[in-house]
Amino acid sequence: MNSSRPAPPVHQLPGIPAPGAMNRRSFLKHNARLLLWTCAVTAGLRLPRVKAADPVPDIAVAVGSRVPATRAAVDLLGGMGRFVKPGQKVVIKPNMSFGGGPEDGTDTHPDIIRELVTLCKEAGAARVRVLDHTLRREERCIEGVQKACELYGDDVVQAVSRSRFFKAAAIPEGHQMRETDVMRDVLEADVLIAAPVAKSHSGSGVSLSMKGMMGLIYNRGVMHSRYDLHESIVDLASLLKPALVVVDGSRVLSTHGPGGPGLVLKSDTIIASADMVAADAQAVAMFEWYGRKLQPRNVKHIRIAHERGLGRMDVENLTRKQVQVG
Amino acid sequence: MTLQRFVQVVSLTLFLLLLTGAALHYSGWLPLDMFLGLDPAAALLTGLAARVWLGTFLAALALLVLTGLVGRFFCGYLCPLGTLIDGAEACLRQPAAARPGLPPQWRRAKYALLVFCVAAASAGLSLAFLVAPIPLVTRFVALTILPALQLLADGLLQLVAPLADRFDLTRLLYLQLPLPRFDLQWVTLLLVLLILASGRWWSRLWCRCLCPAGALMALCAQRPLVRRRVSEDCIDCGLCARRCPTAAIGDDPRLTAHGECITCQTCRRVCPTGAVKFSFAPAKPVAEKPGVILSRRGLMVTAACGLGSAAITLTGARHLLGETGTRRIIPPHLIRPPGARPENDFLRRCYRCGACLAACPTNTLQPFGLDAGLPGLLTPVITPQIGPCDPTCTACGQACPTRAIRALLPSERIWAKVGTAHILRQKCLAWEFDRKCLVCDEVCPYDAIELRREPGLKVAVPFVVENRCSGCGFCEHHCPVEAQPAIVVAPMEALRLSTGSYRREGRAIGLRLRLSTQKKVAGGDETVYPVDEGQNGSGLPPGFSE
Repeated sequence: MNSSRPAPPVHQLPGIPAPGAMNRRSFLKHNARLLLWTCAVTAGLRLPRVKAADPVPDIAVAVGSRVPATRAAVDLLGGMGRFVKPGQKVVIKPNMSFGGGPEDGTDTHPDIIRELVTLCKEAGAARVRVLDHTLRREERCIEGVQKACELYGDDVVQAVSRSRFFKAAAIPEGHQMRETDVMRDVLEADVLIAAPVAKSHSGSGVSLSMKGMMGLIYNRGVMHSRYDLHESIVDLASLLKPALVVVDGSRVLSTHGPGGPGLVLKSDTIIASADMVAADAQAVAMFEWYGRKLQPRNVKHIRIAHERGLGRMDVENLTRKQVQVG
Repeated sequence: MTLQRFVQVVSLTLFLLLLTGAALHYSGWLPLDMFLGLDPAAALLTGLAARVWLGTFLAALALLVLTGLVGRFFCGYLCPLGTLIDGAEACLRQPAAARPGLPPQWRRAKYALLVFCVAAASAGLSLAFLVAPIPLVTRFVALTILPALQLLADGLLQLVAPLADRFDLTRLLYLQLPLPRFDLQWVTLLLVLLILASGRWWSRLWCRCLCPAGALMALCAQRPLVRRRVSEDCIDCGLCARRCPTAAIGDDPRLTAHGECITCQTCRRVCPTGAVKFSFAPAKPVAEKPGVILSRRGLMVTAACGLGSAAITLTGARHLLGETGTRRIIPPHLIRPPGARPENDFLRRCYRCGACLAACPTNTLQPFGLDAGLPGLLTPVITPQIGPCDPTCTACGQACPTRAIRALLPSERIWAKVGTAHILRQKCLAWEFDRKCLVCDEVCPYDAIELRREPGLKVAVPFVVENRCSGCGFCEHHCPVEAQPAIVVAPMEALRLSTGSYRREGRAIGLRLRLSTQKKVAGGDETVYPVDEGQNGSGLPPGFSE
């Protein structure tokens, strides 16, 4: 993994005293670091014995019926408990932008979203919200998902568009886009889970987890007009990094995305990864786009994200596990 | 509280609830046009101008018949504008000594206005929108008062949001009230404020002197069956005459101008001897106070003025009403709602009540200004920059009391083409600035944008496929180019049918309108979706790069 921009030395940042001056903040920092290292080392001592036979892969692929496949893919990564701790607040960001039916391949399948909510609840999440800033009319876009998630209450799924639900957030690692208004709930959540549907996109090649983060900000128009779309997608991804990505490849809108109508491949595949770049890259490599095989590097924002060290697109060098479910 | 005040409050509340329901896009309420349908002036003028009989006129006709039986009870009890006027007067009223009198002949003005408008309507120009009370008060509440209240309510929601979040009231936290905005609010606001402000000096000035619906009802109520009668107990104290809000009682308190009486029964209540009754049986025939009606000469002159004004209006170059020997000048932003009848018919039917504007869920419908002359004032137009026109929504047609906008079936709706989009290449990010954008393609619900590779340009550029475009305006609305989007809708090739099927007509003229989400595609449909090799010069599909 190559990091593109080294962080400035800590003591050059405003509010941080020069090295040597020990105050409460640096004392706490030192101790926290020490604690983390201790934990890491102890964990390292323990892990080989427990996990050697069953290491957690970088990418999990489950093929089969969408609901069990979703669970299987997350289980391959060590289960939802690895990402969601009891009492945490979770935001799931599916693609609900178009309000098409499952057969259109434009939106994440409602069943998969429900299964993710279930997994989070099972892991003990205090609160799960399914949020998107939809493109088309809100009620219509979310009604299918709302129905699927009824079991968990009628307020789990929300389409958010008013500016008052967004808060300005700096993007310190942004190259072009240095600030944007992000959904408050996302900024305040403990865990963000991306659940994009796999589809082509006339502007960005594909629309997967990284492109999907555009559904969590207020003004995405500027990403088309003011900035380079691919650069700003990566800028945004540097701020909004989901802990877990679950790509809905149960159907793939292979052509004429994002709105369709296009060729919808019935692929019955769920891809999961803790690395958003790897998840997107895997989806690009795995499915056919416009009738041909393409490489992750053919998608500019995936390539840039890899180069900036946000994640890895060289899926061939990553560990991958695949299961078949009923 | 008197019975009159109670009924007034109930009626006004119902009126406001219906409009609030429409503004919040709830369905299942009583029909919004309940009150609109009762306005006899709007019905008469519209029916005359458009030369149609509509089912909704039945209600107004029934009201006139009922008025003939029991007097102008509508004005006194049910009219929302009348109630607002009474309310304003209660707040603003000057002491009686400081209130100037109202010369009785002023009351002729309402008949003059009615005759004027009837004459204009017979020439094909409906002025219902300027003078009919119920469309006016509907527009006032729906387009100026409710949006302001919604804004304030949203502010309140914002205040309680931290609490809602704290106590996990997700639904309250994410409650998003529609926040509509409307153009030209001040036209209606000014008119209604003038009417309400007059309560400081005169009670019910509008109802007595101007309201053409009141004039129509007054004509029917010259001698209603149930009417004010005064018995022998009258002691000539004159209290009733002084208290009558419409000055319907003469110097001799036994005489009544029934056309002016709004049956509020104040006279009955204040009478110290209980001499006043509203009843069937006349104790014995008594003289009536003569109402003021236009003289024959006045009638002829006013009618001539109405006719003449209509004729002059209809010979204006910019408006779209009436005969057209030559081509019309159609303002490029005059995009009518889906299902709007042919322009002539549309303009004559439209009440300008604002019901469609309030019902529009995307707020795209806005009142039009004077660019198409006086006849086009305050008529609804689609304004894509504010919102797109949802291709599955039929709210405006459902709300229209006169079917100036036809209520379309869902299968017909997507064929109701309102215009065609075109690209302003000099502003387009792809055409002019070599930028990958293509938001228009992304959002188009009809899949009417095609991306093609043009020699000399680095990126694929958008083209509008005219016969797949319905003019819904999603592209214009979402185009990221600021201060005049680079793709705009104009009412070119809009389908305007007064009868018959939009689908059949659309197919006949070669339209291929279908929603992209309706298209089911199975695997391997290569003939429908050929891959355009070399779309971006690299031989890769759109959006991909080497």
